[in-house]
Amino acid sequence: MPNPILIAVMVFYLATASITAQASLKLPQTIKVDRAALTAEPPCDPKISPAWREAQVIDGVKIDASPACSPDNPAWIAAAVKGTNNVSMDTLMKTGLSPDTIIKTDDLDGDGDPDRIIIKLEVMELNGKSPDFPGIVPTFDIAPGVQPGVWVFAPKGSGMSTENFESVRANPLLRLPAPVIRVEQGDIVQLVLENTHYFPHSIHLHGVDHPFMHKEHGGGDGVPQTSEIELMPGERRVYEFQPRQAGTMFYHCHVQTHTHLSMGLAGMIVVEENRPNNWLQTLNIGGGHVRHSSVAIKEKFDQEYDMHYHAMDKELGDIIQKYNDPRLIARDMNQRYDITDSTEDYYTINGLSFPYSLRESLIIVKPDQKIKLRLLNSGGEMIAIHTHGHHATITHYDGVEHNPVAQIMRDVFDMAPAQRLDLTLETTNDGKHSYGEGDWLIHDHREKGITTNGMAEGGSMSSIVYTSYLGEDGLPKTSHFGIDLSHFFTKEYWERRVPIWQDLDETANLGSPAGQTVSMDAATKNSLLNATYGLLIGILIYFIFSKREYIKQSVMTVISRNKDGKGSQQ
Amino acid sequence: MIKIIKIAFLLTGTMVLGSVATAQQQQAKPNEHEQHQQHSEQQKEQPAAQHEHEEHHDHSGHSMSKTTGPATDHTGEHDKDHSVDDKTHEHAIDHSKHNVESTEHGDMHHHHHMDHDHMMDHEGTMIMGQNLDKLPSSCKSISEEVEITVRAGRKYAGKFPGTAFAFDQQEWRVKPCAKVTFHFINEDQIRHQFMMHGLPKYLYKYGMFHLEVTGPKTVSGTIIAPGSDDTFLVHCDISHHMEKGMKAQFIVGKGSENIPSIPGLTPYNRTDIYEAENLPRVSDKANQSAMVREITKTFAKQDTQNYLIILLGALVGLLCIPLVKMLIPRKKTEK
Ligand SMILES: [Cu+2]
Ligand SMILES: [Cu+2]
Repeated sequence: MPNPILIAVMVFYLATASITAQASLKLPQTIKVDRAALTAEPPCDPKISPAWREAQVIDGVKIDASPACSPDNPAWIAAAVKGTNNVSMDTLMKTGLSPDTIIKTDDLDGDGDPDRIIIKLEVMELNGKSPDFPGIVPTFDIAPGVQPGVWVFAPKGSGMSTENFESVRANPLLRLPAPVIRVEQGDIVQLVLENTHYFPHSIHLHGVDHPFMHKEHGGGDGVPQTSEIELMPGERRVYEFQPRQAGTMFYHCHVQTHTHLSMGLAGMIVVEENRPNNWLQTLNIGGGHVRHSSVAIKEKFDQEYDMHYHAMDKELGDIIQKYNDPRLIARDMNQRYDITDSTEDYYTINGLSFPYSLRESLIIVKPDQKIKLRLLNSGGEMIAIHTHGHHATITHYDGVEHNPVAQIMRDVFDMAPAQRLDLTLETTNDGKHSYGEGDWLIHDHREKGITTNGMAEGGSMSSIVYTSYLGEDGLPKTSHFGIDLSHFFTKEYWERRVPIWQDLDETANLGSPAGQTVSMDAATKNSLLNATYGLLIGILIYFIFSKREYIKQSVMTVISRNKDGKGSQQ
Repeated sequence: MIKIIKIAFLLTGTMVLGSVATAQQQQAKPNEHEQHQQHSEQQKEQPAAQHEHEEHHDHSGHSMSKTTGPATDHTGEHDKDHSVDDKTHEHAIDHSKHNVESTEHGDMHHHHHMDHDHMMDHEGTMIMGQNLDKLPSSCKSISEEVEITVRAGRKYAGKFPGTAFAFDQQEWRVKPCAKVTFHFINEDQIRHQFMMHGLPKYLYKYGMFHLEVTGPKTVSGTIIAPGSDDTFLVHCDISHHMEKGMKAQFIVGKGSENIPSIPGLTPYNRTDIYEAENLPRVSDKANQSAMVREITKTFAKQDTQNYLIILLGALVGLLCIPLVKMLIPRKKTEK
């Protein structure tokens, strides 16, 4: 019989084929994304005063120049060096810190610097769900428009969490990474955790000489399975220690570490060698350039940089943007999230990804300098940091000095999770230490390390920039090469909506093709498929209808047979 | 005949499809920008009147803070010998004269930030936007003098499932033009705030009255309520304290519109989705003998479950047979 299905298929095929053939005669035009349609951000944060870059003295604290476009607030540095208890009220009011955030007292060894140090940290959530409006609060961007849900140790603050009541943006103290802590060998340090978060947390001092158990304050190691119970919301715990050894170390939360560490509860802690009159910058908020180095570092180096590499899983951070109820967040994080199925999506240096890393985390150098770099990897995987144009010397592994005779030079620095490396970077143009002046990239050479949620060029990429290549605004001078970085400073780029090569030539050869109504996008395909199902069902109904007599009869016979069977049994 | 109808149906089908596809492409654009523009509703409250007359008053002698629990860890520190050799680092404020007693009658007097509407002591205890005597323009005199004790802490979240921090009460009512002194008792060992928004800006900088203290400790501050009915947001602005329960409202007179997502009082604007979970229960074990357990184990297997459902379906089908039998003869007679 002339199958009706066959006819249906033939007609359908002919119809679509003719349309497609017509379309391929003329391919769609290229649509160039208009710059004016992008949400352009200024490359440098306009809220940061250029005066912050200059070398200055605040309340007697000498602060080095820092020519990057978004240097740290000098008031933070002054307060961190003197202590919030000693700095002038005028300076303190410019920091947003609480007067008891850093308390420095008691020169116990009589060498001219305070030896009792109290540091207070709080736990803050960034980019979490609000029950009030369809957005997240307080917001923190690691790149334009990129707002992963994170938690962070923040220096104890004062006042609002946002910039002001009209803004949802976090105040500048609430940011990734957890601040770098600097204490002196032999100091009696009280690291006070005030758990302002809705989950339990703790602090584990990885690599820092600390007691397993403190007589007075209890918990010392921060581990809920060995030495202490979880520090609940609303509670405070004092971690007291007197470190005997200097070195670049690590602190992090040890409650549900597989999620809490990746969420951002991780920071660098540096124990500096004991020296007379050694007033340290107790907190380096934001990491990066150290503008008031210790006496020991100044003896040997021209500059010092703290470089904290971190990685985060988008799916993990999404949990705090999906729920507001802490019980649901706990359930998804503790019982449903499976780290063994996870992948890292965000790679940061000092809490930011490219291009924001250019604002804060450039290593700005001059020829013939000796620079101390302290590297920490708090991500969950091995990283491989590569310095373009330079070989640096590894002087310390995990805070312990490597035998000076055996120290090696490399240009790729592999770092296991939690590992620290101290590097000496020398900008001597000898073809080995340095190949000369330039704007030399420094990046993770696992290629995903230079992406942000898979979109390049992002990740933890930054630069070693010689001042001759640094623009007046503090960003590397690239425009004279015809390079324009402005599209990186738009959120549309990170939303994957800008064809990245469209501006490379006049004709936008690699721009975006216009859509065609007949082109088979996913939605069209789906509707066609549905129509086909509809057709088949229609045919089936017709078939049943036309053969209804026959079906009826056969059903009847089955039933009657059944009946007979039953009857005979009885 | 039937064939012709079929082909016609096919052709119209393809045509409709084409137009649907175009429509979909055109629709894809909006709905993306909502997110950032909107902010919580309660933040839109603006004072009804915004006058510009500034008066300057002294407000001396208001007790600021008193310790209600064990002193914070470092209070003792200030007693100790401050022999810090300060050659280059001059102390702007001399701490060496501090002693523990000073906390009892409020450190505020000899210490720290003291501008007109922002006072802070050495532990960060803060009073901002206090108003002791400036009468709102809508008031002829003070209607009543009220003292309200507000407690804050994790333990008050206990009665509101799904929250982490809370105030002991979620609502306070006063008459218009009341002079209200709040005693804010923070019972936790962390910072909390009592922050009120939307007050008239000619009396309160940023329209805000703000108490902040690290517990366990108390801070007190006074305001004068406006002369008209109104409702003001009270919250703690530490990251996610308000979102996780530390939210309330201050009602003057009859009040105005309620503020959303106050625990136990007003619904959330955006709620989470809850689903039943497969949690172990004591009853799972208790009433089961070993044999029952064996049987349920086999029943619980996915395959067994599937077969059971098929069996169930077959039973239903069998039960339906008499019904079908009743229907069929009727049709036959119709024909
Ligand atoms: Cu934690
Ligand atoms: Cu609070």
